Amino acid sequence: MVRIFVEGEDDKKFIIVFLRKLLKDKAVDLGNNTNFDDLITIMGNKSKLLKYENYANTSLLVGKKIKKALFIFDCDFEKDNKKCNGIEKSQECFDKLKDKLKWTIPIDNYIFYKNLDYFIAKTIGKEHCLLEIEKCLELNTLKPNRKPLASLYAIMYPKKPYNLEHDDFKKIKDKLIDLFKGIK
Amino acid sequence: MSEHFIKNIEIKNFKCFKDFKAEGFGRVNLIGGKNNVGKTAFMEAVYVNVHSQNTKQFTYSTYCLKMVREKINILMQPNINYKDKFMEQSNQMLTESNIHKTFFEIKEIDSVKKYYFNLSDKEILVNFKEFSFDIEIVPNIIFIDNFGLSTDEIINNYSAIQKKDEEPYLNNLLEKLDSRIKAFKVIYEKPQCKVNDKYFEVTEFGDGVRHLISIVTSLYKAENGYLFIDEIDNGVHYTMLDELWRVVLDVSEKLNVQVFATTHSKECIESYARVAKKLEDEEITFIELGRNDNNQIESITYPYEWLIDEIEQNHGVRGW
Repeated sequence: MVRIFVEGEDDKKFIIVFLRKLLKDKAVDLGNNTNFDDLITIMGNKSKLLKYENYANTSLLVGKKIKKALFIFDCDFEKDNKKCNGIEKSQECFDKLKDKLKWTIPIDNYIFYKNLDYFIAKTIGKEHCLLEIEKCLELNTLKPNRKPLASLYAIMYPKKPYNLEHDDFKKIKDKLIDLFKGIK
Repeated sequence: MSEHFIKNIEIKNFKCFKDFKAEGFGRVNLIGGKNNVGKTAFMEAVYVNVHSQNTKQFTYSTYCLKMVREKINILMQPNINYKDKFMEQSNQMLTESNIHKTFFEIKEIDSVKKYYFNLSDKEILVNFKEFSFDIEIVPNIIFIDNFGLSTDEIINNYSAIQKKDEEPYLNNLLEKLDSRIKAFKVIYEKPQCKVNDKYFEVTEFGDGVRHLISIVTSLYKAENGYLFIDEIDNGVHYTMLDELWRVVLDVSEKLNVQVFATTHSKECIESYARVAKKLEDEEITFIELGRNDNNQIESITYPYEWLIDEIEQNHGVRGW
Protein backbone atom coordinates (compact mmCIF):
# COMPACT_ATOMS: atom_id res chain seq x y z
CA MET A 1 0.00 0.00 0.00
CA VAL A 2 1.08 3.58 -0.58
CA ARG A 3 0.36 6.57 1.63
CA ILE A 4 0.10 10.21 0.61
CA PHE A 5 0.52 12.77 3.39
CA VAL A 6 -1.23 16.11 2.90
CA GLU A 7 -1.91 19.21 4.97
CA GLY A 8 -5.70 19.47 4.98
CA GLU A 9 -9.07 18.35 3.70
CA ASP A 10 -8.91 20.54 0.55
CA ASP A 11 -5.60 18.99 -0.44
CA LYS A 12 -7.05 15.52 0.07
CA LYS A 13 -10.10 16.32 -2.07
CA PHE A 14 -7.85 17.63 -4.81
CA ILE A 15 -5.63 14.54 -4.75
CA ILE A 16 -8.72 12.31 -4.94
CA VAL A 17 -9.97 14.22 -8.00
CA PHE A 18 -6.57 13.69 -9.55
CA LEU A 19 -6.40 10.00 -8.64
CA ARG A 20 -9.86 9.39 -10.08
CA LYS A 21 -8.70 10.94 -13.34
CA LEU A 22 -5.53 8.85 -13.38
CA LEU A 23 -7.55 5.74 -12.63
CA LYS A 24 -9.98 6.54 -15.44
CA ASP A 25 -7.05 7.07 -17.81
CA LYS A 26 -5.59 3.76 -16.59
CA ALA A 27 -2.42 5.62 -15.67
CA VAL A 28 -2.44 4.02 -12.21
CA ASP A 29 -3.60 0.67 -10.91
CA LEU A 30 -4.98 0.67 -7.37
CA GLY A 31 -5.68 -3.07 -7.38
CA ASN A 32 -8.57 -4.00 -5.13
CA ASN A 33 -8.26 -0.90 -2.99
CA THR A 34 -10.85 1.61 -4.14
CA ASN A 35 -10.94 3.37 -0.78
CA PHE A 36 -9.10 6.59 -1.59
CA ASP A 37 -9.26 7.62 2.05
CA ASP A 38 -7.01 4.69 2.85
CA LEU A 39 -4.30 6.18 0.67
CA ILE A 40 -4.25 9.64 2.19
CA THR A 41 -3.45 10.96 5.66
CA ILE A 42 -4.43 14.49 6.64
CA MET A 43 -1.78 15.90 8.95
CA GLY A 44 -3.66 19.11 9.85
CA ASN A 45 -1.34 21.81 8.52
CA LYS A 46 2.15 22.32 7.18
CA SER A 47 3.85 22.58 10.57
CA LYS A 48 2.26 19.33 11.67
CA LEU A 49 3.15 17.67 8.39
CA LEU A 50 6.79 18.60 8.82
CA LYS A 51 6.96 17.64 12.50
CA TYR A 52 8.83 14.37 13.10
CA GLU A 53 6.97 13.56 16.34
CA ASN A 54 3.68 13.31 14.45
CA TYR A 55 4.84 10.15 12.66
CA ALA A 56 5.42 7.94 15.70
CA ASN A 57 2.39 5.74 14.95
CA THR A 58 2.72 5.86 11.18
CA SER A 59 6.32 4.67 11.45
CA LEU A 60 4.96 1.39 12.85
CA LEU A 61 3.05 0.85 9.59
CA VAL A 62 6.02 1.60 7.36
CA GLY A 63 7.46 -1.52 5.78
CA LYS A 64 4.50 -3.58 6.93
CA LYS A 65 1.53 -1.84 5.32
CA ILE A 66 3.06 1.25 3.80
CA LYS A 67 5.56 0.43 1.06
CA LYS A 68 5.90 3.88 -0.56
CA ALA A 69 5.14 7.41 0.60
CA LEU A 70 4.51 10.78 -1.02
CA PHE A 71 4.33 14.05 0.92
CA ILE A 72 2.40 16.88 -0.72
CA PHE A 73 2.35 20.34 0.83
CA ASP A 74 2.34 24.07 0.10
CA CYS A 75 5.46 26.14 -0.19
CA ASP A 76 3.47 29.15 1.11
CA PHE A 77 4.73 32.70 0.95
CA GLU A 78 8.35 33.68 1.31
CA LYS A 79 7.33 37.16 2.44
CA ASP A 80 5.91 35.64 5.65
CA ASN A 81 9.53 34.85 6.47
CA LYS A 82 8.73 31.65 8.32
CA LYS A 83 11.30 28.91 8.84
CA CYS A 84 9.84 26.53 6.24
CA ASN A 85 8.27 28.96 3.72
CA GLY A 86 9.25 29.30 0.10
CA ILE A 87 10.27 26.46 -2.18
CA GLU A 88 13.87 26.13 -1.01
CA LYS A 89 13.22 26.37 2.70
CA SER A 90 10.21 24.04 2.39
CA GLN A 91 12.36 21.45 0.67
CA GLU A 92 15.07 21.85 3.33
CA CYS A 93 12.57 21.31 6.11
CA PHE A 94 11.18 18.26 4.39
CA ASP A 95 14.65 16.79 3.80
CA LYS A 96 15.34 17.15 7.52
CA LEU A 97 12.10 15.35 8.34
CA LYS A 98 12.95 12.57 5.88
CA ASP A 99 16.39 12.11 7.45
CA LYS A 100 14.92 11.90 10.93
CA LEU A 101 12.20 9.44 9.94
CA LYS A 102 14.74 6.91 8.67
CA TRP A 103 12.02 5.07 6.79
CA THR A 104 13.42 2.32 4.61
CA ILE A 105 10.85 2.75 1.84
CA PRO A 106 10.85 5.00 -1.23
CA ILE A 107 9.79 8.53 -0.19
CA ASP A 108 9.02 11.41 -2.52
CA ASN A 109 7.58 14.87 -2.09
CA TYR A 110 5.80 17.53 -4.08
CA ILE A 111 5.53 21.19 -3.10
CA PHE A 112 2.68 23.34 -4.43
CA TYR A 113 3.51 26.72 -5.92
CA LYS A 114 2.47 29.12 -3.12
CA ASN A 115 -0.53 27.06 -2.11
CA LEU A 116 -3.16 24.83 -3.70
CA ASP A 117 -5.37 27.81 -4.54
CA TYR A 118 -2.68 29.69 -6.41
CA PHE A 119 -1.58 26.52 -8.08
CA ILE A 120 -5.08 25.76 -9.35
CA ALA A 121 -5.71 29.37 -10.36
CA LYS A 122 -2.52 29.35 -12.37
CA THR A 123 -3.40 26.14 -14.21
CA ILE A 124 -6.78 27.46 -15.29
CA GLY A 125 -5.18 30.76 -16.30
CA LYS A 126 -7.09 32.78 -13.73
CA GLU A 127 -4.44 33.76 -11.22
CA HIS A 128 -5.26 37.44 -11.70
CA CYS A 129 -8.87 36.75 -10.62
CA LEU A 130 -7.72 35.19 -7.42
CA LEU A 131 -5.41 38.07 -6.65
CA GLU A 132 -8.25 40.45 -7.33
CA ILE A 133 -10.64 38.57 -5.00
CA GLU A 134 -8.03 38.38 -2.29
CA LYS A 135 -7.23 42.07 -2.61
CA CYS A 136 -10.86 43.15 -2.71
CA LEU A 137 -12.01 41.02 0.21
CA GLU A 138 -8.73 41.43 2.12
CA LEU A 139 -8.62 37.67 2.57
CA ASN A 140 -4.91 37.62 3.27
CA THR A 141 -5.26 39.93 6.22
CA LEU A 142 -8.09 37.88 7.66
CA LYS A 143 -6.82 34.34 7.34
CA PRO A 144 -3.75 33.66 5.27
CA ASN A 145 -3.65 30.41 3.35
CA ARG A 146 -7.39 29.82 3.24
CA LYS A 147 -8.33 28.33 -0.09
CA PRO A 148 -11.33 30.36 -1.30
CA LEU A 149 -10.79 29.56 -4.95
CA ALA A 150 -10.52 25.80 -4.55
CA SER A 151 -13.69 25.86 -2.45
CA LEU A 152 -15.57 28.19 -4.81
CA TYR A 153 -14.47 26.25 -7.85
CA ALA A 154 -15.70 22.97 -6.37
CA ILE A 155 -19.09 24.50 -5.54
CA MET A 156 -19.58 26.28 -8.85
CA TYR A 157 -18.29 23.52 -11.08
CA PRO A 158 -18.88 20.28 -9.18
CA LYS A 159 -18.63 18.16 -12.31
CA LYS A 160 -15.85 20.09 -13.98
CA PRO A 161 -12.43 19.06 -12.72
CA TYR A 162 -9.44 21.32 -12.81
CA ASN A 163 -7.55 21.36 -16.03
CA LEU A 164 -5.47 18.37 -15.11
CA GLU A 165 -3.96 18.27 -18.60
CA HIS A 166 -2.20 21.58 -17.94
CA ASP A 167 1.60 21.40 -18.06
CA ASP A 168 1.81 22.62 -14.48
CA PHE A 169 0.17 19.40 -13.35
CA LYS A 170 2.68 17.20 -15.15
CA LYS A 171 5.15 16.99 -12.28
CA ILE A 172 2.63 16.01 -9.64
CA LYS A 173 0.96 13.65 -12.11
CA ASP A 174 4.28 11.87 -12.76
CA LYS A 175 4.91 11.61 -9.02
CA LEU A 176 1.50 10.06 -8.42
CA ILE A 177 1.95 7.59 -11.29
CA ASP A 178 5.39 6.69 -9.98
CA LEU A 179 4.02 6.21 -6.48
CA PHE A 180 1.77 3.36 -7.56
CA LYS A 181 4.36 1.64 -9.75
CA GLY A 182 5.38 -1.78 -8.46
CA ILE A 183 2.70 -1.83 -5.78
CA LYS A 184 0.64 -5.03 -5.68
CA MET B 1 -5.09 -2.81 33.89
CA SER B 2 -5.57 -5.99 35.87
CA GLU B 3 -2.55 -8.13 36.65
CA HIS B 4 -3.96 -11.24 35.00
CA PHE B 5 -4.38 -9.54 31.63
CA ILE B 6 -2.21 -10.69 28.75
CA LYS B 7 -0.20 -7.73 27.46
CA ASN B 8 1.99 -9.45 24.88
CA ILE B 9 2.53 -12.85 23.34
CA GLU B 10 5.05 -14.76 21.31
CA ILE B 11 3.73 -17.70 19.29
CA LYS B 12 5.89 -20.30 17.59
CA ASN B 13 4.92 -23.34 15.53
CA PHE B 14 1.20 -23.12 16.00
CA LYS B 15 -1.00 -23.48 12.96
CA CYS B 16 -0.16 -20.59 10.60
CA PHE B 17 2.25 -18.96 13.08
CA LYS B 18 5.91 -19.88 12.65
CA ASP B 19 7.47 -17.12 14.69
CA PHE B 20 5.12 -14.33 15.69
CA LYS B 21 5.03 -11.58 18.28
CA ALA B 22 2.36 -9.07 19.26
CA GLU B 23 2.20 -6.64 22.13
CA GLY B 24 0.34 -3.75 23.70
CA PHE B 25 -2.97 -5.53 24.41
CA GLY B 26 -5.71 -3.84 26.38
CA ARG B 27 -8.67 -5.04 28.38
CA VAL B 28 -10.74 -5.41 25.20
CA ASN B 29 -8.99 -6.35 21.97
CA LEU B 30 -10.61 -6.59 18.56
CA ILE B 31 -8.71 -8.51 15.88
CA GLY B 32 -9.01 -7.90 12.14
CA GLY B 33 -7.33 -9.16 9.01
CA LYS B 34 -7.94 -10.88 5.70
CA ASN B 35 -9.15 -14.46 5.37
CA ASN B 36 -6.75 -17.16 6.57
CA VAL B 37 -4.36 -14.71 8.17
CA GLY B 38 -4.79 -16.39 11.56
CA LYS B 39 -7.27 -14.24 13.50
CA THR B 40 -8.91 -17.24 15.16
CA ALA B 41 -5.59 -19.09 15.50
CA PHE B 42 -4.17 -16.04 17.30
CA MET B 43 -7.00 -16.19 19.83
CA GLU B 44 -6.52 -19.93 20.15
CA ALA B 45 -2.85 -19.46 21.00
CA VAL B 46 -3.75 -16.92 23.70
CA TYR B 47 -6.44 -19.33 24.91
CA VAL B 48 -3.86 -22.10 25.30
CA ASN B 49 -1.44 -19.72 26.97
CA VAL B 50 -3.88 -18.75 29.70
CA HIS B 51 -4.49 -22.48 30.35
CA SER B 52 -0.97 -23.19 31.46
CA GLN B 53 -1.16 -23.84 35.17
CA ASN B 54 -0.85 -27.61 34.64
CA THR B 55 -1.09 -30.35 32.00
CA LYS B 56 -4.80 -30.90 32.69
CA GLN B 57 -5.62 -27.31 31.80
CA PHE B 58 -3.35 -27.47 28.76
CA THR B 59 -5.02 -30.71 27.62
CA TYR B 60 -8.43 -29.15 28.08
CA SER B 61 -7.54 -26.09 26.03
CA THR B 62 -6.21 -28.12 23.07
CA TYR B 63 -9.20 -30.45 23.33
CA CYS B 64 -11.61 -27.49 23.23
CA LEU B 65 -9.92 -25.96 20.22
CA LYS B 66 -10.09 -29.22 18.31
CA MET B 67 -13.75 -29.55 19.19
CA VAL B 68 -14.48 -26.00 18.06
CA ARG B 69 -12.77 -26.55 14.71
CA GLU B 70 -14.07 -30.08 14.15
CA LYS B 71 -17.60 -29.61 15.45
CA ILE B 72 -19.28 -30.48 12.16
CA ASN B 73 -17.02 -33.49 11.52
CA ILE B 74 -17.65 -34.79 15.02
CA LEU B 75 -21.39 -34.50 14.49
CA MET B 76 -21.10 -36.43 11.25
CA GLN B 77 -18.69 -39.06 12.63
CA PRO B 78 -19.27 -39.22 16.38
CA ASN B 79 -17.08 -42.30 16.86
CA ILE B 80 -13.81 -40.71 15.77
CA ASN B 81 -11.24 -40.79 18.53
CA TYR B 82 -9.79 -37.31 18.96
CA LYS B 83 -7.92 -38.12 22.15
CA ASP B 84 -4.41 -37.74 20.80
CA LYS B 85 -5.23 -35.80 17.64
CA PHE B 86 -5.97 -32.66 19.58
CA MET B 87 -2.60 -32.89 21.28
CA GLU B 88 -0.75 -33.54 18.03
CA GLN B 89 -1.97 -30.31 16.48
CA SER B 90 -0.01 -28.50 19.19
CA ASN B 91 3.27 -30.37 18.70
CA GLN B 92 6.23 -28.01 19.23
CA MET B 93 3.90 -25.18 20.04
CA LEU B 94 5.35 -22.38 22.11
CA THR B 95 3.39 -19.50 23.53
CA GLU B 96 5.04 -17.03 25.85
CA SER B 97 3.17 -14.11 27.34
CA ASN B 98 3.75 -11.77 30.28
CA ILE B 99 1.78 -14.30 32.34
CA HIS B 100 2.75 -17.81 31.20
CA LYS B 101 5.17 -19.75 29.10
CA THR B 102 3.88 -22.90 27.40
CA PHE B 103 5.82 -25.39 25.34
CA PHE B 104 4.61 -28.80 24.24
CA GLU B 105 6.45 -31.36 22.17
CA ILE B 106 5.90 -34.97 21.15
CA LYS B 107 9.23 -36.75 21.48
CA GLU B 108 10.43 -40.19 20.63
CA ILE B 109 13.01 -41.41 23.11
CA ASP B 110 14.29 -44.99 22.72
CA SER B 111 11.40 -45.66 20.36
CA VAL B 112 8.94 -44.62 23.04
CA LYS B 113 6.50 -41.82 22.27
CA LYS B 114 6.52 -39.22 25.01
CA TYR B 115 4.81 -35.94 25.76
CA TYR B 116 7.08 -33.15 26.93
CA PHE B 117 5.58 -30.08 28.62
CA ASN B 118 7.26 -26.91 29.81
CA LEU B 119 4.59 -24.94 31.60
CA SER B 120 5.94 -21.72 33.09
CA ASP B 121 9.37 -23.38 33.49
CA LYS B 122 7.98 -26.55 35.08
CA GLU B 123 9.16 -29.46 32.93
CA ILE B 124 7.15 -32.67 32.63
CA LEU B 125 7.99 -35.71 30.50
CA VAL B 126 5.33 -38.43 30.28
CA ASN B 127 5.05 -41.65 28.28
CA PHE B 128 2.26 -41.24 25.78
CA LYS B 129 0.65 -44.50 26.91
CA GLU B 130 0.66 -43.38 30.51
CA PHE B 131 -0.72 -39.94 29.82
CA SER B 132 -4.14 -39.67 31.43
CA PHE B 133 -5.73 -37.06 29.15
CA ASP B 134 -7.57 -35.88 32.24
CA ILE B 135 -8.80 -32.33 31.93
CA GLU B 136 -9.32 -29.38 34.21
CA ILE B 137 -11.87 -26.81 33.16
CA VAL B 138 -11.15 -23.23 34.14
CA PRO B 139 -14.68 -21.82 34.41
CA ASN B 140 -13.78 -18.19 33.80
CA ILE B 141 -11.92 -18.78 30.53
CA ILE B 142 -14.46 -19.08 27.73
CA PHE B 143 -14.18 -19.44 23.97
CA ILE B 144 -17.26 -18.66 21.86
CA ASP B 145 -17.05 -19.83 18.27
CA ASN B 146 -19.02 -18.19 15.48
CA PHE B 147 -22.04 -20.42 16.15
CA GLY B 148 -22.35 -19.34 19.77
CA LEU B 149 -22.47 -21.60 22.81
CA SER B 150 -24.28 -24.90 23.22
CA THR B 151 -27.52 -25.02 25.21
CA ASP B 152 -25.74 -26.54 28.22
CA GLU B 153 -23.07 -23.86 28.16
CA ILE B 154 -25.67 -21.09 27.98
CA ILE B 155 -27.54 -22.55 30.95
CA ASN B 156 -24.33 -22.90 32.92
CA ASN B 157 -23.19 -19.35 32.14
CA TYR B 158 -26.62 -17.85 32.75
CA SER B 159 -26.32 -18.86 36.41
CA ALA B 160 -23.56 -16.24 36.71
CA ILE B 161 -26.08 -13.57 35.66
CA GLN B 162 -28.66 -14.93 38.09
CA LYS B 163 -26.15 -14.87 40.94
CA LYS B 164 -25.71 -11.16 40.39
CA ASP B 165 -29.44 -10.50 39.88
CA GLU B 166 -28.62 -9.04 36.48
CA GLU B 167 -31.35 -10.84 34.51
CA PRO B 168 -32.99 -7.49 33.56
CA TYR B 169 -29.71 -6.44 31.92
CA LEU B 170 -29.91 -9.37 29.47
CA ASN B 171 -33.67 -8.98 29.00
CA ASN B 172 -33.26 -5.32 28.18
CA LEU B 173 -30.59 -6.07 25.60
CA LEU B 174 -32.67 -8.81 23.96
CA GLU B 175 -35.61 -6.43 23.72
CA LYS B 176 -33.36 -3.93 21.94
CA LEU B 177 -32.34 -6.67 19.50
CA ASP B 178 -35.95 -7.71 18.88
CA SER B 179 -38.66 -5.61 20.48
CA ARG B 180 -40.96 -8.66 20.63
CA ILE B 181 -38.66 -10.44 23.11
CA LYS B 182 -39.72 -9.53 26.63
CA ALA B 183 -37.70 -11.97 28.75
CA PHE B 184 -35.14 -14.74 28.78
CA LYS B 185 -35.42 -17.73 31.12
CA VAL B 186 -34.21 -21.27 31.50
CA ILE B 187 -37.33 -23.43 31.68
CA TYR B 188 -37.18 -27.23 31.91
CA GLU B 189 -33.43 -26.98 31.26
CA LYS B 190 -33.97 -25.18 28.01
CA PRO B 191 -33.04 -21.52 27.30
CA GLN B 192 -36.19 -19.75 26.17
CA CYS B 193 -37.34 -16.28 25.15
CA LYS B 194 -40.75 -14.81 25.84
CA VAL B 195 -42.63 -13.43 22.83
CA ASN B 196 -46.32 -12.45 22.99
CA ASP B 197 -46.65 -14.00 26.46
CA LYS B 198 -45.39 -17.39 25.25
CA TYR B 199 -41.95 -18.91 25.74
CA PHE B 200 -40.04 -20.29 22.75
CA GLU B 201 -36.75 -22.15 22.75
CA VAL B 202 -33.77 -20.03 21.74
CA THR B 203 -33.14 -22.42 18.84
CA GLU B 204 -36.36 -21.06 17.29
CA PHE B 205 -34.79 -17.62 16.90
CA GLY B 206 -32.14 -16.32 14.52
CA ASP B 207 -28.38 -16.73 15.06
CA GLY B 208 -28.12 -13.21 16.47
CA VAL B 209 -30.21 -14.01 19.53
CA ARG B 210 -28.16 -17.08 20.41
CA HIS B 211 -24.89 -15.26 19.76
CA LEU B 212 -25.89 -12.30 21.89
CA ILE B 213 -27.05 -14.51 24.77
CA SER B 214 -23.78 -16.45 24.48
CA ILE B 215 -21.72 -13.26 24.69
CA VAL B 216 -23.58 -11.64 27.58
CA THR B 217 -23.84 -14.78 29.72
CA SER B 218 -20.17 -15.57 29.07
CA LEU B 219 -19.08 -12.06 30.09
CA TYR B 220 -20.63 -12.65 33.51
CA LYS B 221 -19.23 -16.17 33.77
CA ALA B 222 -15.73 -14.96 32.85
CA GLU B 223 -15.44 -12.62 35.85
CA ASN B 224 -11.73 -12.03 36.57
CA GLY B 225 -10.89 -14.21 33.59
CA TYR B 226 -10.84 -14.22 29.81
CA LEU B 227 -13.42 -14.26 27.05
CA PHE B 228 -12.64 -15.13 23.42
CA ILE B 229 -15.31 -14.42 20.79
CA ASP B 230 -14.90 -15.53 17.20
CA GLU B 231 -16.71 -13.25 14.73
CA ILE B 232 -18.36 -11.16 17.41
CA ASP B 233 -20.80 -9.54 15.00
CA ASN B 234 -22.03 -12.83 13.54
CA GLY B 235 -25.80 -12.61 13.05
CA VAL B 236 -25.97 -9.16 14.67
CA HIS B 237 -27.63 -6.39 12.64
CA TYR B 238 -25.43 -3.31 12.26
CA THR B 239 -27.90 -1.15 14.18
CA MET B 240 -27.28 -3.35 17.24
CA LEU B 241 -23.50 -3.18 17.12
CA ASP B 242 -23.16 -0.08 19.32
CA GLU B 243 -25.35 -1.73 21.93
CA LEU B 244 -23.33 -4.92 21.77
CA TRP B 245 -20.05 -3.05 22.25
CA ARG B 246 -21.52 -0.97 25.06
CA VAL B 247 -22.33 -4.19 26.90
CA VAL B 248 -18.93 -5.77 26.19
CA LEU B 249 -17.03 -2.66 27.34
CA ASP B 250 -19.27 -2.05 30.31
CA VAL B 251 -19.39 -5.60 31.71
CA SER B 252 -15.75 -6.43 30.96
CA GLU B 253 -14.69 -3.38 32.96
CA LYS B 254 -17.09 -4.07 35.79
CA LEU B 255 -16.13 -7.73 36.11
CA ASN B 256 -12.47 -7.46 35.18
CA VAL B 257 -12.64 -9.63 32.07
CA GLN B 258 -10.07 -9.49 29.29
CA VAL B 259 -11.79 -9.88 25.94
CA PHE B 260 -10.36 -10.94 22.57
CA ALA B 261 -12.72 -10.90 19.58
CA THR B 262 -12.43 -11.18 15.82
CA THR B 263 -14.35 -9.52 13.01
CA HIS B 264 -14.30 -8.98 9.26
CA SER B 265 -16.73 -6.12 9.37
CA LYS B 266 -15.86 -2.46 8.89
CA GLU B 267 -19.12 -1.46 10.59
CA CYS B 268 -18.17 -3.54 13.60
CA ILE B 269 -14.75 -1.88 13.90
CA GLU B 270 -16.24 1.59 13.48
CA SER B 271 -18.85 0.84 16.10
CA TYR B 272 -16.14 -0.44 18.46
CA ALA B 273 -14.14 2.80 18.11
CA ARG B 274 -17.26 4.97 18.36
CA VAL B 275 -18.53 3.34 21.55
CA ALA B 276 -15.09 3.29 23.19
CA LYS B 277 -14.80 7.02 22.46
CA LYS B 278 -18.26 7.70 23.82
CA LEU B 279 -17.52 5.75 27.00
CA GLU B 280 -13.99 7.22 27.15
CA ASP B 281 -12.74 3.67 27.54
CA GLU B 282 -9.07 3.84 26.68
CA GLU B 283 -8.31 0.24 27.64
CA ILE B 284 -9.11 -1.01 24.18
CA THR B 285 -6.92 -1.98 21.24
CA PHE B 286 -7.34 -3.12 17.69
CA ILE B 287 -4.97 -5.82 16.46
CA GLU B 288 -4.47 -5.91 12.70
CA LEU B 289 -2.91 -9.02 11.18
CA GLY B 290 -1.26 -9.21 7.77
CA ARG B 291 1.43 -11.08 5.88
CA ASN B 292 4.87 -9.76 5.00
CA ASP B 293 6.67 -10.35 1.70
CA ASN B 294 7.90 -13.71 3.04
CA ASN B 295 4.32 -14.75 3.78
CA GLN B 296 4.93 -14.64 7.53
CA ILE B 297 2.22 -13.16 9.72
CA GLU B 298 2.85 -9.80 11.38
CA SER B 299 0.71 -7.62 13.58
CA ILE B 300 0.04 -3.98 14.30
CA THR B 301 -1.60 -3.10 17.61
CA TYR B 302 -3.53 0.15 17.56
CA PRO B 303 -4.11 1.60 21.03
CA TYR B 304 -7.22 3.69 21.72
CA GLU B 305 -6.15 7.09 20.36
CA TRP B 306 -4.46 5.76 17.26
CA LEU B 307 -7.48 3.58 16.41
CA ILE B 308 -9.84 6.54 16.79
CA ASP B 309 -7.59 8.60 14.51
CA GLU B 310 -7.37 5.85 11.88
CA ILE B 311 -11.15 5.40 11.87
CA GLU B 312 -11.75 9.16 11.65
CA GLN B 313 -9.40 9.33 8.65
CA ASN B 314 -11.31 6.36 7.18
CA HIS B 315 -8.10 4.38 6.86
CA GLY B 316 -8.51 0.66 6.36
CA VAL B 317 -7.40 -1.48 9.29
CA ARG B 318 -8.70 -4.84 8.12
CA GLY B 319 -5.41 -6.37 7.09
CA TRP B 320 -2.91 -6.01 4.30
